[in-house]
Amino acid sequence: MEPAVLHRSQAHKRLLTSLQSLYNDIVMEQLSYIQNQPKLDAVFAALADPTRRTILMQLTKGEASVNELAAPFEISQPAVSRHLKVLERAGLVERDIDKQRRPARLKAQEMMAAVAWLTEFRAFWDNSFDQLDAVLAQMKQTPDNT
Amino acid sequence: MSDIPEYKFDRVFDAPRSLVWKAWTDPKLLARWYGPGAETIIHEFDLRPGGVWLNEMKWGDKSMCSKMAFTEIAPEDHMVWHHSSTDSDWNIVSNPMMPNWPRTLLTTVTFTEQDGKTTVSLSQIPMDATAEEIECFAGAMAGMSKGWGAGYKILDEIFAELQA
Repeated sequence: MEPAVLHRSQAHKRLLTSLQSLYNDIVMEQLSYIQNQPKLDAVFAALADPTRRTILMQLTKGEASVNELAAPFEISQPAVSRHLKVLERAGLVERDIDKQRRPARLKAQEMMAAVAWLTEFRAFWDNSFDQLDAVLAQMKQTPDNT
Repeated sequence: MSDIPEYKFDRVFDAPRSLVWKAWTDPKLLARWYGPGAETIIHEFDLRPGGVWLNEMKWGDKSMCSKMAFTEIAPEDHMVWHHSSTDSDWNIVSNPMMPNWPRTLLTTVTFTEQDGKTTVSLSQIPMDATAEEIECFAGAMAGMSKGWGAGYKILDEIFAELQA
C-alpha cells in the first residue's frame, strides 16, 4: 500500500474511532434517560396502531382538536377520542383541560425516549456492519488472514 | 394485529460470499466487528444446529450478554438462530429497560452474491412472544419505518445539540 494511502486510511480510522466513542456516549446517555421512562412499553403499544401513528404525525404540525384530528379518518369522533386517551396514557400527547376545544399537543420528550430506543436497535446492526466493512477490506488485502 | 412483525435489514458488502461467510463464522473475526463500538468477547461459538454462540459486549463498566442458539446452518447460504438477551450466567431474561421487549428473536441471516458483492439480509421476528411483546415489537418496527420521520427530526436536533 502507498504510504500516502496508508496515512489517509489511518486518519479515516481515527475519525471512525472518535465518532464511535461519541456515538457510545450518546447511547449511554440515552440508556440512562430510557431507564427513567417506565412508560416505554406503553409508548410502543400506542405506536402499534396505524390510526394513532397518523394522529401523532398530524400533531407534529401543531396542536389540533378532536374534530380536526377526526377529519381524515372514516371513524367517529368518540373513536378518535379513545385513541387520544391511549396516546395520553402513554405520555405522548397532552390535552388542555380548561378550554372547550381541548386541543391535543404532542409531547416530544416522551417521543424522544422511544426514538432513542429505536435508534439504538437499528444502530446496533448499522454500526456493526460498518465495522464488518472494515474487517472485509482487511481480509481482502491479506487473503490468509484469519 | 394479524401477522407477527418482522425487522428486516439488508446490506451490500464489497466482498465475495465466501469471505463474508468467514467473517461471520470465525469467532476471531466476528468479535472484531459484532457490537457497535463495544468490546466483544465470544465465550463460546459452536456453529452447528444445537450449538450456541455466547456473546458478551462491554462498554466501560457495563456488560451486555446474549445467547444465540443455532438451529440451521447452510454454509455460505444462510444461518438461523434464536437470539436472546441473558444475565451473566446465560439465563434468558427480559430487558430491564423494557420488560415487554420480546426475550427471543428468531434471527435469519441470508447471504447472496452478485458480481463479486454480497448482500446480507437480516430478519428478526419475536419468538414465543406474549401479545404484549408482539404489540411492543410491532410499535417499535412501525416507528422504524419512514412514516414516522418526525421523531427522527427531533432526535437529529438533539444530536446536533449534543455535538455542538
